[in-house]
Amino acid sequence: MPPSTCLRCLPIRPAPSPRPVLLCHIALPPAQTAAFSTTTNLSAAVAKKRPNSHTGPPKRGVKALNIKKTQRIKSGRPPAPGERKALRKRIVLSNTNALEVQGMPDLSDKNITDASLVCRVVGIPGLVVDSLRAVEAFKPTQGWGLFRRPAALVRKETLQLGRYIQEVETAEGKKTIRRVVVGERGSGKSTLLLQAMTMAFVKGWVVVNIPDAKDLTIGHTEYGPLFNTNPTQYVQKTYTANLLSQISKANKAVLSKLQLSQQHDLPIPIQSNISLDRLADLGARDPDVAYPIFQALWAELTAPSTKGAVRPPILFTLDGINQIMRYSAYLSSDVKPIHAHDLALVRHFINALSGAQALPNGGIVLAATCESGKPPSPTLELAVAQSEARVAGAEEVPQPHPYKAMDQRVLDSMRDVEVLRLKGLDKDEARGIMEYYAASGMLRERVDEGLVAEKWTLAGGGVVGELERESVRMRI
Amino acid sequence: MVFVFGVNFPEQRLASLERFYGVGPQLSERLMARFHIHPTAKIGALGGRQITDLNAELTKLTIENDLRRKIQDNIKRLRDMGSYRGRRHAMGLPVRGQKTRTQITTARRLNRVDRKG
Repeated sequence: MPPSTCLRCLPIRPAPSPRPVLLCHIALPPAQTAAFSTTTNLSAAVAKKRPNSHTGPPKRGVKALNIKKTQRIKSGRPPAPGERKALRKRIVLSNTNALEVQGMPDLSDKNITDASLVCRVVGIPGLVVDSLRAVEAFKPTQGWGLFRRPAALVRKETLQLGRYIQEVETAEGKKTIRRVVVGERGSGKSTLLLQAMTMAFVKGWVVVNIPDAKDLTIGHTEYGPLFNTNPTQYVQKTYTANLLSQISKANKAVLSKLQLSQQHDLPIPIQSNISLDRLADLGARDPDVAYPIFQALWAELTAPSTKGAVRPPILFTLDGINQIMRYSAYLSSDVKPIHAHDLALVRHFINALSGAQALPNGGIVLAATCESGKPPSPTLELAVAQSEARVAGAEEVPQPHPYKAMDQRVLDSMRDVEVLRLKGLDKDEARGIMEYYAASGMLRERVDEGLVAEKWTLAGGGVVGELERESVRMRI
Repeated sequence: MVFVFGVNFPEQRLASLERFYGVGPQLSERLMARFHIHPTAKIGALGGRQITDLNAELTKLTIENDLRRKIQDNIKRLRDMGSYRGRRHAMGLPVRGQKTRTQITTARRLNRVDRKG
């Protein structure tokens, strides 16, 4: 039934109460009254027109952009030359807050081929630590500063290196082993080099290490042509002097027992029976004579051993081989880039690596690639693939791309070098290193199968650098 | 302090030759390569031979005041001929047909008969 009254006629809201009538409002028209103000609109000040995109550019002489420059607050003295670099390159090898790991064996000349040490972390003896520091084997990016003392995991490849060392020492005709260590970023290539150096030091070998090949090729050290060479070679005298000082410092114990045995044509007069560490020191002191002295030192080290003068085997290592498998940043006098193999020190290493220059007293030549900020070196990649295929006995060895220029010098230098590929750790090795983390008090979890499997997987299949990062460095 | 081409360089200064008027990045690179000076070399680290060679080479080039004078002579020649380019130089206006309604501050600054640099 429809309602008796029309719905449309009903008032929607109650009618407003009658406005209080004030005397002053009577004369004003309703449009000029403000709801909440007693001031009239007309008496308000006219708002200044703000410049916007429609007003056009500011007039000449008017400062349009008014931004105050932030004052740089100078606190203290500015860093002295070299101070920041020293901080950047600082190596910390100890963490006093980390626990000392009980029962951790040290690496010694007896146990370098001990298979029972695989999957265990082994300490680096104190004397060797000084030598390793001298040859810059420790890198600032590695996690040495997290643990009580330097120690490294013995993995299968480490044991393999130990066997190489034994092989060289026991071989009849003084063997030379040449390897290039490859692997993805964080897979432990530099640490493997460090372990090789550790073993060489405890075995009484002479260790020559080029810690970062990038320093040789990016054009940051002095260079100069070497006369009577074709194609022209270039000597980096300051770098050579520094290298000599490192060799002398790190191998003092061995070199001080060896004396000069040959005649050398050197620019400075030297004592005929000078010890080799003092010879190296002479070169380290004066960059101008560093390279001839380096050559003399190498000639002495590679002189055939006699009964009176036994020359030890040599470990020659270089980190960042992909930096030397390309053109360097240096320019020749006719403004053409210099190939890295024309730099005398690089060529010296390449000759040793390719086998062009033999090590008559035996030794190992080891190089590792560096994956961080690596320059493109397609020829090296091809050479590595070829080497791997050769060793595996594959029927088809990878061939150079027919339409891309390849660097023949790189291919030649890698012709019969074998490749040692580092993959991720296996579960047992991962467990070994994680137990070490836990024993050092840096990993506060129970190391069981589940945790190892989790971390191993998260580390991309046991990539040791990632494993360390997620277990020890990362704090969530 | 090391003197190179009559200028006193502090030893810690990079051996950049672009300090000289008329030596740009390319010429500097060429000169440094000719005497085997690497790009981050400090002046103090250069050998005496390198500095004398560099001085000899810089003396052969038309740089600094020689180059300024050469440019002024060229402009003066244009002005004396009474060419359009000479007149525009003398008036401090753009020489190569640019518009003059706006944006001629560079021309006002540089285009003159006794051009400074």
